[in-house]
Amino acid sequence: MKISFVLNGKKKTTDVEPDMRVIDLLREHLHLTGTKEGCGSGECGACAILVDGESRLSCLMLAAQLEGKKITTIEGLSKGKRLHPVQKAFVENGAVQCGFCTPGMVMTSVDILSRNPDPSRDEIREGISGNLCRCTGYQKIVDAIEYAAKDKNR
Amino acid sequence: MAREVLLPRTLDDLWEIFHAEPELHLYAGGTDLLVKLRSQPPLPSGSPSPLVCLERIDGLKGIYEEDGLVCIRACTTHSEIMKDPVIRQHFPVLTKVLSLLGSPHIRNMGTIGGNICTASPAGDTLTPLYTLGASVEARSCDSGRLMPLKSFILGPGSVALQQGEILYGIWIKKDHDFNIHHFEKIGQRKALAIAIASMAALIKLSGEGTIEKIRLAWGSVAPTVAVSHTIEDALTGKPLTENVLRDAMPLVTDALSPIDDVRASAGYRRRVATNLLLRLLQYKDA
Amino acid sequence: MKRGKQVPFRIGTTTPRCDACTKVTGQEKYAADYYGDHFFWAGVKRAGTPHGKLLKVNTEDAKRLKGVVAVLTSEDVAGSNRVGIIRGDQPVLADKKICYAGDPLALVIAENKEALQAAVGFITFDHEPLPGVFDVEEALKKGAPLVHEDSPEGNLLRLVSVETGKGASAFDECDVIVEGVFQTPFQEHAYLETEAGWAYLDDSEQLVVVTTTQTPFRDRNEMAPALGIDVEKIRVIVPYLGGAFGGKDGIAIQCLLGLAALHTGGVPVKMWWGREESFLASTKRLSARMRYRLGVKRDGTFHALECRAYFDTGAYAGLGETVMTLGLEHAGSAYRIPNVSIEGSCVYTNNTVGGPFRGFGVTQVTAAMEQVIDMAAQRLSIDPLAIRRSNALEKGDKNCIGVTLTHSTGIKKCLAALSEHPLWREKEGWKMKAEQFKKRGVGIACMAHAMGYPAVVPDFANAKIEFTGEGRFRIYAGIVDMGQGNTSTYAHIAGAMLGQDTSVFELVQPDTERTLPSGSSSASRTTYVYGNALIIAVEDLKKRILDKALHLFCSAQAEELMLVPGGIRHREGKKKVSLRKVAGLFDEPERTCTAHFRSPAATEMLDRIYLGPHIIFSYAAHLSYVEIDMLTGCAEVIGYLAVTDAGNVINPQAYEQQIQGGIAQGIGFALSEDYKVANGHTDTNNLATYIIPTAMDVPDMMSVAVDNVEETGPFGMKGIGEISISGPVPAIANAVADACGIRIGRNPITAENIFQALQKQDDQEKPR
Ligand SMILES: Cc1cc2nc3c(=O)[nH]c(=O)nc-3n(C[C@H](O)[C@H](O)[C@H](O)COP(=O)(O)OP(=O)(O)OC[C@H]3O[C@@H](n4cnc5c(N)ncnc54)[C@H](O)[C@@H]3O)c2cc1C
Ligand code: FES
Ligand code: FES
Repeated sequence: MKISFVLNGKKKTTDVEPDMRVIDLLREHLHLTGTKEGCGSGECGACAILVDGESRLSCLMLAAQLEGKKITTIEGLSKGKRLHPVQKAFVENGAVQCGFCTPGMVMTSVDILSRNPDPSRDEIREGISGNLCRCTGYQKIVDAIEYAAKDKNR
Repeated sequence: MAREVLLPRTLDDLWEIFHAEPELHLYAGGTDLLVKLRSQPPLPSGSPSPLVCLERIDGLKGIYEEDGLVCIRACTTHSEIMKDPVIRQHFPVLTKVLSLLGSPHIRNMGTIGGNICTASPAGDTLTPLYTLGASVEARSCDSGRLMPLKSFILGPGSVALQQGEILYGIWIKKDHDFNIHHFEKIGQRKALAIAIASMAALIKLSGEGTIEKIRLAWGSVAPTVAVSHTIEDALTGKPLTENVLRDAMPLVTDALSPIDDVRASAGYRRRVATNLLLRLLQYKDA
Repeated sequence: MKRGKQVPFRIGTTTPRCDACTKVTGQEKYAADYYGDHFFWAGVKRAGTPHGKLLKVNTEDAKRLKGVVAVLTSEDVAGSNRVGIIRGDQPVLADKKICYAGDPLALVIAENKEALQAAVGFITFDHEPLPGVFDVEEALKKGAPLVHEDSPEGNLLRLVSVETGKGASAFDECDVIVEGVFQTPFQEHAYLETEAGWAYLDDSEQLVVVTTTQTPFRDRNEMAPALGIDVEKIRVIVPYLGGAFGGKDGIAIQCLLGLAALHTGGVPVKMWWGREESFLASTKRLSARMRYRLGVKRDGTFHALECRAYFDTGAYAGLGETVMTLGLEHAGSAYRIPNVSIEGSCVYTNNTVGGPFRGFGVTQVTAAMEQVIDMAAQRLSIDPLAIRRSNALEKGDKNCIGVTLTHSTGIKKCLAALSEHPLWREKEGWKMKAEQFKKRGVGIACMAHAMGYPAVVPDFANAKIEFTGEGRFRIYAGIVDMGQGNTSTYAHIAGAMLGQDTSVFELVQPDTERTLPSGSSSASRTTYVYGNALIIAVEDLKKRILDKALHLFCSAQAEELMLVPGGIRHREGKKKVSLRKVAGLFDEPERTCTAHFRSPAATEMLDRIYLGPHIIFSYAAHLSYVEIDMLTGCAEVIGYLAVTDAGNVINPQAYEQQIQGGIAQGIGFALSEDYKVANGHTDTNNLATYIIPTAMDVPDMMSVAVDNVEETGPFGMKGIGEISISGPVPAIANAVADACGIRIGRNPITAENIFQALQKQDDQEKPR
């Protein structure tokens, strides 16, 4: 089945099995391995991407559902070598350890800040509560999102 | 063998699909169905029945008001419902429940119709909808019918949909006079938590602190939502005090029929669900 | 926090990790991220039944399926088909027996995932079910079914006992004796990256395995005999791991991947375990049952300790006995106790497979010891902090197994800092403010954690650093970075010595062909041992660079030159030459410096405990604020403080990452994590049922590093990777006891457990 969508700002048409999971489409067919799979069943958030600007779990979406949508993955966030403010905040605040939760966490953070530019720490914790991280204890991730929100460059 | 995935844009398209493919799997957000399919071994041969995704049917989305009733169409996501000003204003109990359902991602994807049709004993939207006396509308290509949610839910995983029928919407009366909307869920953690027990409550509390009207519903402590008019009657007309609530607690215990599972024992569920009644005391002087 | 481009690394100053940029942009390539134009998928059929005699694995139906390349069984394994670093008792593919539900029976290679999944479903096996053993004490009874019929001591893998002073007879001299039984469950590591890898035979017929492991060099040595190939013919490459915490220490996926690659006719093969398979087939923290007895003098002095422990290693030995032994070595936590009697049995069962988990066995015993201390304090009406301070170890004291502490010993400093912290001082006020139906409590706990391997296991690293032709520095890290950031810290150390910033460093992750053997990524050792080796190599390299640079600064002495970001400058003059220019003067062989470092180890009392004692320890004192909901039993951690002595701090941010991450895992272990196995089967087989904390379940944590220097450490540091995980269980259990007077003796301390204990307490208090 041919599906067309906008991927990280570029039009894309691809021929895939309609029931392929979006995460497999991204990783195996489009070679965008930044999006991670940690559970395949909605529990971990590692596979989060933005669909029309809102977070979606790419492990619980089928390729056919992308038709006509705008998709952003972690690869589409930075502009050339310039990190997105959220990415920069993650780096500087030590929010990255093993990094396996990071792409999903960053995409989710972008979603949070687009809806709530000035979240409280509690709101941030709630906002990332669908993204499991086993390394950081979350504190530095919360710091990073708070920092990104305050970062004037946004 | 790959499955076909169909994305009808209108109800008419959907009816046509139904006509051509009587054997199909419907899904809306997919947060229940796709998880379930994942744990089923793939069929090595033969063509599996197609999947029909309802997310593109505009007619199944949105929140509308009609003659003092609010209709939440089945494929509206939890996030959309939470944001809706009408729901916030008139049914804060529903907003509260949804804010505790799954995680932000699950709420962005999952729908109220999916939650109802899954008919899990732990389905979070059911308790508030029971207390609100919601009705559901089922539709097929040539007819529609309205029934109380209570009669729609037949048991765990089972709803009163017939072949060729879908859940179209949920109807709730706007003009209730409850001034307290309460919900509490006990899970194993604060987010991404399936309820061990939950309780929704609507109370009309007088200025003097008398319970003029009360609706209660418990989740995860019976095959479907547990309700009891005996308890509601026992509390009606009484002042909202600790003693009054404690007196009613044995009635709650009797109304529940929980089971043991990986999350908690039946005994704990029963006692803790009963205790949740005491939490209503916080509204005593509110 | 903001740093300009040219600020060199400095010891003690926060610098973001070198790997953060590639990880935050999704560019970093993990083992699961390897795909190719043409490759196969491999997967495993697992037993699903806990104990039985394996008669036959039926693969014919699976082999006939379209897209299936091969289905292998134990008969296709050319070597010994056995792995296990100490006992070698675990099959690559089960041959005679099934010893737990995760045992692999057949390996499928297929052209795509769909065919693979279908084929695995088509494999059946004939077996004769055997009664299983699922409880450590039952397993040791006469006549219990044997997990391994050929094991010399039946289900007892190892018995370890230590006695000092008068042993248990010293209880006669105590004024107060407290005792309790404590249990900790299996804990699943739940790293976000499940086991994955990519393997192929290269042009020279060498088996190349890119995979998720903490032990590349050891794996190679295990894989060779198991698969029947020459060690030199195996190359293991380990990208950054997506978490491991001990769960990727030792053979899990490695041999299966290697075996698959030997049967694809040269096509690369990929394997990636799903979450359920990872839970089923990976190791768990050994569950433990511990009977503790502590004898105390009236003034609060600890006088006698008895510990009887049973550790469940599950179906295979793995490192189980060393896990238990390290636990027993820490049975007395961070205190002086002159008379001890410690005995532990590490036991085979058909439950799961036990293995290392951050904290090794120390987390288990600390949970017990730190609770009996509170029980003793309560009996004597002594403040729990005071009783700890008066018994805390000091340098020169003997620890609980009688080994004299000759290295930095900062537990007293930790307790002093804790006593001055606002969270300690303001605790009573906080407790008073509990709302209706809530009770609040505060608990503390101390912990010690040994660094490195036990005395008889050589603990060494071989550092390698290259000054490239472009004037950059390439560090060849022989120790895996599973997410703890050790390899970044290597750059930090080298950068601080060479006056450079992040931009000139490249880190080569472990590769048995390119990096040098340096042991496992475990035992809180990675920065200490490799860092020490690296310092030697960097000093050598620095000297070479300055010597060469002299040619470009006519008339100067090497001492007059200094390294600055990107170049070399004369101390007085203005002249600066770039590193690239200096690099041009090097001959190839001169570019690389290597150095070997072997960690100091005990030379006495080697027979005191299995594999000998440790001599360098980190210490910590933790405090937790816990609120209990009396209506539901839910416990919530509201505040947390960790005061740590891990020597000098190299990078405060990286240090805090370790502390916070360990505490969060500890909070999970304390309150919700429970890998439940009943009759060899588990219902907690995924992230929906095995409950790890979300961002809403962990509070903001405070971390204080006490000022202490470990003289033998690189820039005075010692291990920080594990210690913090051992605090939360006892600190939270003690807070729960403080809040409402109940002691459950078993974690996780779930709402249901608390609720039941409260109910029991209620029933007892009710007049009859
Ligand atoms: C990680 C995770 C956490 C979760 N947490 C919670 C939680 O806390 N509380 C909770 O209650 N649930 C939870 N769920 C379950 C699920 O997300 C919800 O039940 C959700 O509302 C389902 O909606 P959906 O649209 O995704 O359902 P789908 O998966 O799309 O559908 C579910 C079922 O309903 C049927 N269906 C859907 N829409 C219609 C319709 N209009 N007409 C007829 N049939 C229909 C489908 O055929 C299918 O059988 C969780 C799920 C996950 C994966
Ligand atoms: S992989 Fe999608 S939520 Fe875990
Ligand atoms: S950084 Fe490892 S899981 Fe989050």
